[in-house]
Amino acid sequence: MPAIAETYSLGLPVEVSKIDQELKKLWQESQGAATRASLVNLAVYSEDAGSLNKNTQLMAKITENHACRAIVIEADCKAQENRVESWISAHCHVSRAGSKQICSEQISFLLRGGCTTLLPSIVFSHLDSDLPFYLWWQEEFREPMDPQLWAWVDRVIYDSQGWEDFSAQMHLLESAEQEANQRTVLCDLNWTRLDNVRFALAQFFDHPASHHHFAKINSVRIDFAPGFRSTAVLFAGWLAAQLNWQGKKTEAANKFSFVSSSGRKLDVELQERPGDPIGEVALATPEVEFLVAHAKCGDLLEVSRGNPGEKHTPQLMPAGKNDPVSLMSEELMRGGPHHVYLHAVNRVRDLL
Amino acid sequence: MNRAADQPEPNPLREGLSARAVPQPCTIVIFGATGDLTHRKLVPALYNLAADGDLPPAVEIVGFARRPKTDDEFRRDLEEATRNFSRQTVRDEIWKNFAQSITYHQSEFEDESGYNALAKRLDEIDKNHGTRGNRLFYFAASPDQFEPILKHLKAAGLNQTCEGSWARVIVEKPFGTDLASARELNRIIRNSFSEEQTYRIDHFLGKETAQNILVLRFANAIFAPLWNTHYVDHVQITAAETLGVENRAGYYEHAGALRDMVQNHLLQLLCLVAMEPPTDLSADSIRDEKVKVVRSLRHWSRNEIAANVVRAQYSKGAINGEPVVGYRQEKNVNPDSQTETFVALRLFIDNWRWADVPIYMRVGKRLPKSATDISIHFKKAPAVLFNKDLRDLNVLVIRIQPDEGISLRIHAKVPGTSFRIEPVKMDFHYGTSFGKASPEAYERLLLDAMSGDATLFARRDEVEEAWAFIDPIEEAWHAKKDAPELFFYPAGSWGPEAADDLLAGDGRAWRRL
Repeated sequence: MPAIAETYSLGLPVEVSKIDQELKKLWQESQGAATRASLVNLAVYSEDAGSLNKNTQLMAKITENHACRAIVIEADCKAQENRVESWISAHCHVSRAGSKQICSEQISFLLRGGCTTLLPSIVFSHLDSDLPFYLWWQEEFREPMDPQLWAWVDRVIYDSQGWEDFSAQMHLLESAEQEANQRTVLCDLNWTRLDNVRFALAQFFDHPASHHHFAKINSVRIDFAPGFRSTAVLFAGWLAAQLNWQGKKTEAANKFSFVSSSGRKLDVELQERPGDPIGEVALATPEVEFLVAHAKCGDLLEVSRGNPGEKHTPQLMPAGKNDPVSLMSEELMRGGPHHVYLHAVNRVRDLL
Repeated sequence: MNRAADQPEPNPLREGLSARAVPQPCTIVIFGATGDLTHRKLVPALYNLAADGDLPPAVEIVGFARRPKTDDEFRRDLEEATRNFSRQTVRDEIWKNFAQSITYHQSEFEDESGYNALAKRLDEIDKNHGTRGNRLFYFAASPDQFEPILKHLKAAGLNQTCEGSWARVIVEKPFGTDLASARELNRIIRNSFSEEQTYRIDHFLGKETAQNILVLRFANAIFAPLWNTHYVDHVQITAAETLGVENRAGYYEHAGALRDMVQNHLLQLLCLVAMEPPTDLSADSIRDEKVKVVRSLRHWSRNEIAANVVRAQYSKGAINGEPVVGYRQEKNVNPDSQTETFVALRLFIDNWRWADVPIYMRVGKRLPKSATDISIHFKKAPAVLFNKDLRDLNVLVIRIQPDEGISLRIHAKVPGTSFRIEPVKMDFHYGTSFGKASPEAYERLLLDAMSGDATLFARRDEVEEAWAFIDPIEEAWHAKKDAPELFFYPAGSWGPEAADDLLAGDGRAWRRL
C-alpha cells in the first residue's frame, strides 16, 4: 500500500479518468487500519515549477490538524501541449487517541497548457461532495476570473504580502466575489499573520476603564521586517477602522497620520527592521505606552504597558509562526467571515 | 455563551478575534490550595490558558491554605504538579512568567485575622497588578469548610466590590448531601454572595461533547422533529468506570453512586438531552429550560422505588484480566458497607415531549470499561415491508468520554441478490475530524467564570430540584423496614442481573458498550 504509507511523495500515478476508482482501491487495501477523514476540500494552485512536491509536504503537515481532501495543482500555463498528469496519495497521522491512523487523501495534478480551461474541470470533477471548497491561490490573480469556478469557492486563501499591485489584485478578487453573490470569503494570510499581535494589543483594552485611552492615542509605531511593509500597513488600517480614525494624510512613504473621532491628530510611523514580520508595535498616549514586542525566544510576544520610556514587566503571550503551515492552520481553525479585514483594507488601500 | 449583565462594553479591537466572552483581569483566590484539585486540575488549567494566551493581562493567583509554606515552595509544588498533569508540555519561560502571578496565603479557615490580611493583600494586588478589584474565590476545600470561609469572607468585606468590579465564588460539588443540606449550603452562600455571584461547577458540563448536545439538537433541523415521544422509544445514559473507590473511601462511603454521580453529572446530561429549546443562549434561558426537566421527573413512591431503581455493590472480580478486591475489602471501607457503587434507574419525564418515554440510567464503578455516553433509541418503523423481522432500532449515540463523538445506527441492505438487512453505523469522532485537542473542562469553566458566563454552571434551583428527586430514593434505601435489596456484582461485569431485568421487563436491553 505504498500510496498510503508515504506522505511526502506524490504517490501513485493514475489516469485522470480513474482517480475515483484508484482512491477506492487505496482505502480497500488499507483493510480498515486507516480511517479516511475530511472536513473540507482544500485545493492549492501554483504555477511554480516544483510546487507539487513543495505543496505536498505542506499538505502533509496541514492535514495533521485539518482533515481534508487535498487537491494539489501545479500548472505550466506556457506549455505548448495540453496534458494532465495525476497522482493519488494519503497523508496519515496517528490520532490523538493513539490507536488509529487518520488519513486525508490527496489528488495531485500537473497541468500543462490551457490552464484556464483545464482548472475548473479538474477541480469540479474531484471535489468530495457536500463539503466546503477552499481554494489556496499561490499566484497573483489575473483575468479572466472564471465565474463558474469562483461561484463554487467558499473561501479563497491568498497572501497579499507578495503582491506587486494590491489595488488591482483586490479589484479582481472583489469582482469575483460579487460574481459569486458575496458568498466567497476572502482570506488573506497577510492578515492572518497579524492575528497574534492584534490579539495581544486588544487585550489591553478589554476592561471598559481602559477605553478612555483610545481617545488619547497620539502615536503609533510599527516595526516590520524587510518585505513586510504591507503587513504593517494592514495593521495600521485595522487600528484606523476599529477606532474610527479618519482623514488619512501621507507625509512620507512610511509616515502618515489620521484624525481621531475626537479630532486629535495621530501619527503613524512604520520602521523597517530585520526580524519578525511585525517586530514591535507601540501605541502611545501622553501618559501610557502600550507595547507588543517579539520576545527573544522567538514564538512568544512580550506585552506590557507603562509610562513612555520606562522599562515594563512584560506578560508573555503566544506569537504564532510565520510559516505557511502555521498560517494556514490558523486560518482554517478560525473560519467565519472577515469583515474586519475588509474594513482595514479600505482604510489604507492606497498605501498597500 | 452570552454576555452577562455585568459584562462591560465590547472592546472594538476584539471584533472578529474571538467568538467568546472576554475574561476580565482578576485575582483568583483558591481555598484549599494545597489539595489535590488545585494541583491536578486548577493550576494546570490556568497554566494552559496562560500558554494559549487566553488569560487576561492581569490575573493573579493566591493560594489560601493552612499549611505553612513560602511563595517559592508553593510555586515549586505547583510547577511539579503542572508538569505532571498539564495537557501540554510546560515551557520554562512561560511557567516562569506565569509563576510570578502566584502567591501563597497561609491561614486557618476559621481565623478571622487571616481574612483581614487577605483583604489587605488583595487591595495591594489590585494596586500593583491592575486586577481592578475583581475577585474570583474558588472553593477547593472540603464542604464542611465552606461555612467558615464564607462567613469570614463576608466579615472581611470581600463579598462586596466597588462599582465596576466583581466578586464571584466557584463552589465544587458535592452541593450538599440531600435537599435539606443543599438548601442550607445555598442559604450559607446566599448570606455572603448573591445567586448571580455563585458558580456551582459541574465539570461534565465543561466537556466538549456535553456542550455539543445543544449544538446537535438546535443547529440541526433533522433531529428536531424526531426528538419526542412520537419517535423516541427510550433513552439510555451510561457512566461506567473501571476504577474502584481508590483513595476516596472516606467520602464515597457516605456518598455512594447515586449522590456522587446521578444527582449532578447524569441529571445534568439528561437536562441537556431533554430540555426544550431556550429562548436565547443566555445563562438563565438555558438554565430555566434545564430546571423544568428536573422538575418534571416522576417521583416514585417508596414501593415503586424497588421496581425502578437498582442499587448494587461490586464484589471481587477482575478488570482487564487483573484480579481486584470487592468494595468491602477496599481500604477505609466498612466491611459491612451498604454503600452502592452501581445504580440503574428507570425515569420518566412527565411533560408533553417525553410522556411515556423511559429514560434508563446506569452508573457504576469497576465495570468492564470506562465510558460515558447517551443513546437515543428511536421507535421501529412500521412492521411491514422490510421491518417484519428487524430487531434493532435506529440509535443515535452521543459519546461524552472517551473518544468523544456521535454515531447513528441505520439499516442497510447487504449487497447480494437477497434482501438481507443489517445495521450499519455512521460514526463521527472528534479526534478524527478535528485535529486540535479540546481544552480541559476546567479551562473552559474557569474562563467562563472570569467572563461572567454562568451557562455551564448549575443554578440553585437546579441543584435543589435534583435533590428533591434523589432524596426519596435515599430514604427508601436507608429505611429500617423493607429497604430495597442491595445487589452485588463481580468487578469487571456490567452490573447485577437486576439491572438487566429493569429493561428486560420492558422488552429492552442495555446497549452494548
